[in-house]
Amino acid sequence: MNVLEVKHVIKILGKKEVVRGVSFEVERGQLLALLGPSGCGKTTTLRMIAGLEVPDYGEIWIDGALASSGQKVVMAQKERHIGMVFQDLALWPHMTVYKNIEFGLKATGLTRAERQKRIKAVFDKVNMQKYANEYPARLSGGQQQLIAIARAIATEPKLLLMDEPLSNIDAQLRDDIRKEIKRIQQETEITTVYVTHDQEDAFLLADKIAVMNAGVVEQIDNPEEIYFFPGSLFVANFIGESNAIRVRIVDRDKVVTPWGELVCRTKGHERGEAFLFFRPHQVQIEQNGFYEGVIIKREFIGGRYRYYIEIPKGEIKFYNQKFYRIGEPIRFSIKEANLLFS
Amino acid sequence: MQKRLTLGFFFTLFICTTFIPIVWMFGSSLYEDGRFSFVYYRDIFFTQRYVKVILNSLILASITTALALLAGVPAGFFLSKTNLPLKNVFKICFLIPFIIPSYIVGIAWANLLGRTGFLNTLLSQYTTLSPESISNFMYSLYGASFILSINLFPVIMLMTEYALKNVNPRLEESGLIAGGIFQVVRQITLPLVAPAILSSMMIVFILSLSEFGIPSLLQVNVLTTQIFTQFSAFYNEKAATAIAFPLIVITIMLMILEQVYFRGKSFEILGRRASNETIHYQERWLTVAGTLFCTFIFILCVIVPLITLMVNSKTVSAYYDAFRLAKNGIKNTILYGSLGATFLTVVGFFLGYLSEKVRSKLKNSIAPFIWLFFAVPATVIGIGLIKVCNRPEGIFQFIYGSLWIIILGYGARFLPLSSRIMANYFKQVSNSTEEAGIVMGASWFRILKKIIVPLQGHGIVAAWLISFMFCVGELGTTILVYPPGHETLPITLFTVMVNSPANIVSALSLIIVAMTLLPLGIFLATSRYFLTMKAKGSRVLR
Repeated sequence: MNVLEVKHVIKILGKKEVVRGVSFEVERGQLLALLGPSGCGKTTTLRMIAGLEVPDYGEIWIDGALASSGQKVVMAQKERHIGMVFQDLALWPHMTVYKNIEFGLKATGLTRAERQKRIKAVFDKVNMQKYANEYPARLSGGQQQLIAIARAIATEPKLLLMDEPLSNIDAQLRDDIRKEIKRIQQETEITTVYVTHDQEDAFLLADKIAVMNAGVVEQIDNPEEIYFFPGSLFVANFIGESNAIRVRIVDRDKVVTPWGELVCRTKGHERGEAFLFFRPHQVQIEQNGFYEGVIIKREFIGGRYRYYIEIPKGEIKFYNQKFYRIGEPIRFSIKEANLLFS
Repeated sequence: MQKRLTLGFFFTLFICTTFIPIVWMFGSSLYEDGRFSFVYYRDIFFTQRYVKVILNSLILASITTALALLAGVPAGFFLSKTNLPLKNVFKICFLIPFIIPSYIVGIAWANLLGRTGFLNTLLSQYTTLSPESISNFMYSLYGASFILSINLFPVIMLMTEYALKNVNPRLEESGLIAGGIFQVVRQITLPLVAPAILSSMMIVFILSLSEFGIPSLLQVNVLTTQIFTQFSAFYNEKAATAIAFPLIVITIMLMILEQVYFRGKSFEILGRRASNETIHYQERWLTVAGTLFCTFIFILCVIVPLITLMVNSKTVSAYYDAFRLAKNGIKNTILYGSLGATFLTVVGFFLGYLSEKVRSKLKNSIAPFIWLFFAVPATVIGIGLIKVCNRPEGIFQFIYGSLWIIILGYGARFLPLSSRIMANYFKQVSNSTEEAGIVMGASWFRILKKIIVPLQGHGIVAAWLISFMFCVGELGTTILVYPPGHETLPITLFTVMVNSPANIVSALSLIIVAMTLLPLGIFLATSRYFLTMKAKGSRVLR
C-alpha cells in the first residue's frame, strides 16, 4: 500500500514554475530518494508534502487520505503525522536534547510517563541516551544529526522527510551517518522521502530513486535500473560517467553511427536523431573488436586509468587497468548500449 | 489562523497609531469651511517667508550631514581598521551623544559659547571675535548644525564601521600585495563601502530635517519649529499641517530613494554582528593619528558637554533642587518610558516578525513601509495624534486626557525603530527552527512561547532598552500631546529653562543623561551575559 501519493503537483514561485507536474508514489516501509541538481524543485516538493508550502495544482495523499488538492489545504500539518529532518537540522539551541525530542510528543497529548517511555525508546534506537541533558551546541556534528533524526521519529510518524541532512558534514562522518540512517530506517520500517543532490546517498540508501530536473521527474526506478537504463539523456549524464554519441535513425531498429550502420532497438522510432548511450565500463578492448579509435588522453584515477578514445565526430571514455600509450590505435567493442532521445 | 490574527492585529495597531493620524491630518488640512481648498498650501509655496524657512531647514540638514561625515567616516575607519588603544571604550563613548537627547548637548554648548560662557570669554579675550559674534554663531543655523552633527555623527560612524568590517579581506589583501595602504583605501576599500556611507548620510540628513529640540532651543527658524509655533502659539493647526507638508514630502522622498537605492541597509547594524575577519592596518603613524582624532572627537562630543553641565550645576544642592522640581517629571518619565518601551517591544516584535519571517506577496514592501515612518517629524506626529484623539467620544477622550496619548506618541515615533531592531534579530534565526515545530503539529502560540520568544531573548532585551532610551529623551511629540499633570522630564527641562537658574537646568540635564545612559550600561552588561552564554555553547548552534 502507498503511504504517499503525489499527483501532478505544480508549484509556481514568483513567475517561475519550480515544480512542473511531479507525480510519484512511496510504498509503506520504502525509502524514496528525490535526486537532482540544485534548484530542480526537490526541496520544494518535499516542503509541499510537509505542508510548509501550498501547491498550486495537483493532489497529495498521505496514508490514503487527501492532504491537499490544488491550493486547498485539506489536512493541517498536525494531521499529516510527519517527521522531518532539516538541512540545517533546526535543533532548538535553547532546549536540551531531551526537551527537543519531547516537544513534538507534547503536541500529541501523551502523558508524562508515556512521553518518557517513547523518548527512552528513541534514545535506544540512536544510541544517544547519555546526551539527554546536553544542549545541542555541545554535541558533535554527527551526534546532532542523530538527535535531529531521533526528534523526527519520536512521534512515530507515518512518513519521514529528510532534506539533504548530510550536506553539511565531512566525507568520513557522512559515511558513518549514512549507515546509521539506513539501519534506523530499516529497523523502524518508517516510510521515508530523502532529498539529496548526492548520487552516492541515493544509491546507498534508497529503495527507489526519483531523478528530478528543472521541476519534473525524469525517471523513477530502483537504483540499478536508473544506472544501467537511464530513461533520458539528462539522467544518463547526471548519474555516473557516461558516453553519449549522436546517431541517426534510418529505419526501425537501425541506426547510423560514426563507424557505420548498427542494429539497435529504436523504441518504435523509424527516423530522426538520437544518442547511443553506454557506460565507460561497458567498453571492452578486444583485438578483434568491432570498432577502432586512437587513444588521445590518459588519467590515472587510482588502481586504473581513464582513457579517452578519439572517434569520428567525438570521443568516448573507458576504464582499464592496462597501460596504453597516447596515440596508440586500439580496437574495442561495446557490450551493451541503449538509445536515448534528447 | 492564530498567526494571521495576531500579526493582523499588531499591523492594524501600527496603522492606527502611525499611518491614520498623519493621513487624517493632511486630509483635514485640505478642507476649509466644508469645501476642498488649497488655501494653506498656497500660502506656503508662494510666501517668501516660508520659502526661507524651507531653505533654512535644508541648509541645517546639509551642514549637519557634512560635519557628521567629517567626524563619522574617519572615526568608523579608525575603529574598524586600526589597532587603536581603548577601541571599545571609544566606541561606547561615541554612542553617548546619539543616545542622550540632542538638546542636552545643545544646552551644554550654549552655556559654553553663550554671551557669558567660559569658552566665549576665553575666545573673545585671545582672538578678535566679540562675545556677541560668538554667541550669535551659537544661536544660528551654523551653531545648530554643529550641535546636531555631534548628536548624529555616531550614525555615520556606526554604519561605516559595520560596512568596513564586512568588506571581504581578500579584496584588500590582493590590493595590498600590489600597492600601498593609501591606494588600497582610496581605490578598493572606500568605493566598496561608499553605498553604506551614502546611505548613512541620507539618514543623518533626514533626521536633521525632522529635528525639533535643537532648533527650538537655539531659536532657529526651521520647518519643525514653525509647525510648533503655528500649532501652539497661533492654534492654527491647518497652517501647521501645511508647513509640515514640504517636510514630509522631502523626507519621505529621500527615504524612498534610500530604500530603493540602498535596499534598506540603514540601521542593519542594530542587532547584527559584523564579520570577525577584518584587516587591521598595523602602521604606527595610523594608530597615533587615530588615537589623536578619536580623543579630539571624544573631548568635543562627550567630555566638554558633560563636564560643562557638571561644572555649571556647581553644588550638590542644585541636584537636590532639580530633583524636587522635577519629582513628578522623573516619576512620569520612568513610568511612561517603561510602558512605552514595553509597548514598543511587544508591537515591534510582531512587526519585525511580520516583515522578516512571513512570506507573502507584500513581504518586501512591509519593512520599507514601516521604516518610512521613522522620517516623520515628531511635531507632525504630535499634531496628527491630537487631530485623531481630540474628540468627545468616550475612548478618544480617555486617551487624550491620560498618559496613553504619550504612550501612543512614543509608539508612533519609535515603532519603525523597534520593529527594525527585532527584524534584524529575526534575520539571524533560520526559518527551519520554527518549521521544525510546525511539522510536529504544534500550534503557533506554542511555537511562539517555546521557540520564537526564547530564541529572541537578546533581541527583546535590546529592543526594550533602546526603546526606553529614546522614550526618556523624547520631546517633539510629547511637548504637543502631554495632558496637564503628565509632563515628562524633557518637558520639565524645557519649561524651567526659561525661568530657573542655570545650575538647576544643568543638574536636570545630567539627571536625564543618567536616565538614558543607565539602560546603555544594562544593555552592555546583558550583551556580555548573552555572549558568555554563547561561549559556553548552550545558546547558539552551529
